Amino acid sequence: MSWDPAVLARIRHLHLRARVLTDSLLMGEHRSRRVGQAVEFADYQEYQPGADLRFLDWKVLARSDRLVIKRFETETELPCTVVVDLSADLATGQTGRGGYPDLDASKAGYALTLAATLLFYLHRHGEPVGLEIVAGEGCAFPSLPPRTGKNHLQQCFVALASVRPAGRADLAAALVRVGSRTRRRSWVGLITDGMEEPSEWLPALSAFSRRRADVRLFHLFDREEWTLGFKDASVFYSPEGGQELAVDPVGAREAFAEVVDEYVTEVRSGVVRWGGRYVPVGTDRAMEDAIRRAILDGMAEGSWA
Amino acid sequence: MGLSLLAPLALGLAVLGVLPVLAHLARQTPKDRKAFGAMLLLERVVKRLRRRRRVKDPWLLLMRLLALAALFLAVSGPVLSYHDGTPEFGGSGRVVLVLDRSASMTMSDRGSTLFSRARADAVAVVGSLPEGTLLGAVVFDSEALRLTSALTTDAASIGARLADVAPTGGTSNLQAALHEARGLLGGEPGEVLLFSDEAGPRIVLDAHTEIERLVELGSAVLPRTVRPEVVRNVAVVSAHYGSGIEGGTVTLRLANFSDEPTEVACEVTLPDGATVPVFVDLPPAGEAEERITVPPEALGGVGRVSCDDPAMSIDDDRYFHLPRVGASRVLVVDGDPGDTPLRSEVYFFERALSPWGAMQSGFRPDVATPGGVLDVDTEEYRVIVLANVGDPRPLGPRLTEFVRSGGSLVIAAGDNVTADRYNAAFSSVLPSPLRRSRALADRAEQGVPLGLPDVQADIFKPFQRSGRAGFSRVRSHRVMTLEPYAESEDVRTLLQYEGDIPALVERRLGSGRVVVWTSTLDLGWTNLPLQAVYMPMVQRLVTVLGGDTSGGAARLDGLVGERIAVPLPDLAAEPDVLGPEGDVVRSRVEASQLLFQPKTAGAYQVVLPGSPPLAWVAVNSDPDESDVRPYHTVEEAESALNPELFRVEYELGTVLLGLSGLLFFGQALLMTRRRRTDEA
Repeated sequence: MSWDPAVLARIRHLHLRARVLTDSLLMGEHRSRRVGQAVEFADYQEYQPGADLRFLDWKVLARSDRLVIKRFETETELPCTVVVDLSADLATGQTGRGGYPDLDASKAGYALTLAATLLFYLHRHGEPVGLEIVAGEGCAFPSLPPRTGKNHLQQCFVALASVRPAGRADLAAALVRVGSRTRRRSWVGLITDGMEEPSEWLPALSAFSRRRADVRLFHLFDREEWTLGFKDASVFYSPEGGQELAVDPVGAREAFAEVVDEYVTEVRSGVVRWGGRYVPVGTDRAMEDAIRRAILDGMAEGSWA
Repeated sequence: MGLSLLAPLALGLAVLGVLPVLAHLARQTPKDRKAFGAMLLLERVVKRLRRRRRVKDPWLLLMRLLALAALFLAVSGPVLSYHDGTPEFGGSGRVVLVLDRSASMTMSDRGSTLFSRARADAVAVVGSLPEGTLLGAVVFDSEALRLTSALTTDAASIGARLADVAPTGGTSNLQAALHEARGLLGGEPGEVLLFSDEAGPRIVLDAHTEIERLVELGSAVLPRTVRPEVVRNVAVVSAHYGSGIEGGTVTLRLANFSDEPTEVACEVTLPDGATVPVFVDLPPAGEAEERITVPPEALGGVGRVSCDDPAMSIDDDRYFHLPRVGASRVLVVDGDPGDTPLRSEVYFFERALSPWGAMQSGFRPDVATPGGVLDVDTEEYRVIVLANVGDPRPLGPRLTEFVRSGGSLVIAAGDNVTADRYNAAFSSVLPSPLRRSRALADRAEQGVPLGLPDVQADIFKPFQRSGRAGFSRVRSHRVMTLEPYAESEDVRTLLQYEGDIPALVERRLGSGRVVVWTSTLDLGWTNLPLQAVYMPMVQRLVTVLGGDTSGGAARLDGLVGERIAVPLPDLAAEPDVLGPEGDVVRSRVEASQLLFQPKTAGAYQVVLPGSPPLAWVAVNSDPDESDVRPYHTVEEAESALNPELFRVEYELGTVLLGLSGLLFFGQALLMTRRRRTDEA
């Protein structure tokens, strides 16, 4: 297997960015190998040094002078899958030059970096991680099921570094397909710009909710696009093809803002309805905020603005 | 309506009209192309904006275009000309008012009739004309009548005469009215104001020639049409009798001249006063036919069909002829029954009347003995025959009353007949007192033959074509003689033997008759029963005597207001025409025809005093008058001849200029408002 030097460079770059971001996320946090909260008692385990003293059963200690740790259901492994939409539309944003996306500027670069960071972060917590790439081209392994191990993580990074935005996502079909492969009670991070008719693809989230998966939808957007922050009238087109529209951004801005609000409301309510959490992610915002809101703080909803 | 231009070249400026279109379409297509990741949202925005602009921009364009179009049109001097049905009148100073008083004008509408409205309008017009205007007036139905012999300035007199005009049931003859109006104008131009409903399919078409002549004369016919708010009328348009089962059928046809279906209650009244109710369902603007069965026996005469219609009553009755229907009931009093039927006095008579039974022959003879007559209701019979009755005195008063009330009595002689008893019983009704029985010849001899009858007499009319000679074979060897009498209108010798010996003598008493047959009805004194003339003569005798009130009367039909000619036989006196109410209608005899003009519908009869009617005339209104729907109008006819008469012209330049200014102002406002919105 020969590696494209650009891809190799991107792998390192991705890895580095992911680690840096993860470190910043974990700064000041007590390291734990588990994600989630204890909700249901399972059994007892003999205390081992290093175990979290919060879970020491003080009543058992008082009665029998034994040190035992309470175990909960959720403390079992949590399979995590990151689903990345890399349709051609994600090549737009502040840069839309084609080729490998600029990891700093384009929506696709932001999506890849976010995916890599999530994978790295979850791997660092000892969870098995998997990757599903929707649309895009150049990736030999677009579907990697959740596993543990550094090599698997590395494989995910290779997939992320080698993919280029292309084609249509066809979100409805893709979500049904990924959902059917998802394990029960797993964690799913869906990174997409959602630029397909919401009424068509939102119901596909039921494929996850039926498996009681914890879905976080990272709704990616470019602020300049969503505010129609252009000055001159232009012919706008989608890289995915379709109708071209000559629009004067100044005249249409007010109506566009109304449409964006209606659209966000529609997507948010759809995600919540199907049991997920909605995380708007603007490419102009720090990625840590998005991850913290989605994972650490447990905050789902929030304003895109 | 039409539009003409005084300066059509100015429309060349309309080329400038493309400028706002070009300006409107000159939206620069952006050259810059931009990849955009939220096309889904942009498409939604564009749809929304298009919806808004679809309302906003086309209005702007439309206003600009209309403003320019109005400006160019204003410059080119447009003149709007349109058809107006009410041109001004009175300008010529010579006006003839023509008032329709035909049947259709009697239609009720909003509490009054069309005629009363038209008349009021005519009177008002007379009052509104300038003083000194020469006026004339004509009223018309089937004939036109001048109210003034010449044009006059006496408006008050014309108004008063018009106010006195009443509607008739006649047919509309607009042609005659316009002819009279043209006569009043005396070949000079003038105006003819027509107050009519112009209803019916023919009224205007028939008057087209007169309209043309008036227009050629430089005159104008100005219609002041009166129309009902809702056109509706039901009329009986025809009724006629046809033979069939029982007494036959009367077929009546009703027409509905409205757009709504309707049910009408009708009543058929037969000449004897019997009524038959019938309901008729009529489709919208269509006709329906209904048949009623006539009873097995009915008097002949004129019947009537009436329907209940509030719109126009004049055509709700229709009169029709009905022949006498059913068998004539004859009471034969047998004065010498004999021991076998063949020996009966009335054997031959009875069979001559009804050889195959009453239903086939039309006669129903009932035979009674003299004593049995007292138990019989004589009102059920039209003819009573006394055949060789010995003593009629007990029957005298009753049979005399029978004759005086319209019945007919036939007295046949015989061995039992005694002159004194008959003279005592029927002294007041006999043509002449009976004298005695007289032998004309020995029984072994052939007897005295009958003379040939006058075939113009009702009884002998069937022998007009042939059979008359058969009477000469009838021979009698004995007769009952009468006291000498003078021939008169009431007493006539219908038949006599050679030697001027009366054989059949008739006396008329009103509508009743007494006929004396001086011989026997059987073979006792004569061989008549064995002759070929016996049966037709007996049947005809009973037919004529038996209450066919129309008898041999002619049956004619006529229309209200139209002249009716009744052919007359040679008469010594001039007959009268009796109207439906029994009043004498004015008539005159001209070239063996009796002429009269009925003013109302109904049953008219031509009569000589004391005799059956010579003719029955069923007079009805014209069915065309019942059709109150408008077909052709005078306005249409005259517009084709003189298009300018009803045309009004109006210059639109100033109006269009103002409109153009308003539109320019409006588009400027709209544009300013839109610019502000865009800037915001």
